[in-house]
Amino acid sequence: MLHLLGVNLPDQKLVQYALPLFYGIGQKTALKVLASISIHKSCKIVDLSESQINQLSALLSDMKIESDLRKQIRANIMHHRAIGSYVGRRHAMGMPVRGQNTRNNAKTARKLNGRWLKAEKREYSSSTRSIIPSVDSPFESFFNRKWF
Amino acid sequence: MPRSAWKGPFFVALPGLRQALTGNIPVRTNARACTIIPSFVGLKFQIHNGKDYTPLTVTDEMVGHKLGEFAPTRKRFSYRQTKNK
Repeated sequence: MLHLLGVNLPDQKLVQYALPLFYGIGQKTALKVLASISIHKSCKIVDLSESQINQLSALLSDMKIESDLRKQIRANIMHHRAIGSYVGRRHAMGMPVRGQNTRNNAKTARKLNGRWLKAEKREYSSSTRSIIPSVDSPFESFFNRKWF
Repeated sequence: MPRSAWKGPFFVALPGLRQALTGNIPVRTNARACTIIPSFVGLKFQIHNGKDYTPLTVTDEMVGHKLGEFAPTRKRFSYRQTKNK
């Protein structure tokens, strides 16, 4: 087992299939990562040298994966919830956000959509409330889109 | 896909905007597709939802969204026993 940034990577897996164990890395990104630090596709976790592991962890720690990514997704949804937009309401109701039919099923939405808001509540009850600051204020992001 | 940046944000010239800025009169509008631009912050709106006008006070987090996002157009389903009520 290789323990990397809080995730256990099993020894006998190919690196390209072990990397998607990280939240936020899929097949495509895994292959890109491999290419960028020139590890062969058929390389297994056990075969990685010390320096390659260091390179890999350095690269992965720069990427937005695992808790960083989760935090960002939650912040995006909480933004909609806080301003009371339609998207935020639908998330809170656990219903499809983008106009899908709700006559039947809507199963994915029911499974997923309330989740982020509930997780937020759970966290608050256990720890002190901390608001995640957005990267830049709405004003800045609006102007950063270069339309004036 | 987002709107092309070169077009600029879509907004409608809202009549009564000047009065709203000076006095505290809500702007009554049907232009749900109008983007909330920074100069709208602090203004009061009444946005058409197909039936009547929903009140909204614009805060700075709302900048960049559309007015219509804040006026839900559908009623929640509630079961009634008889139809003639």
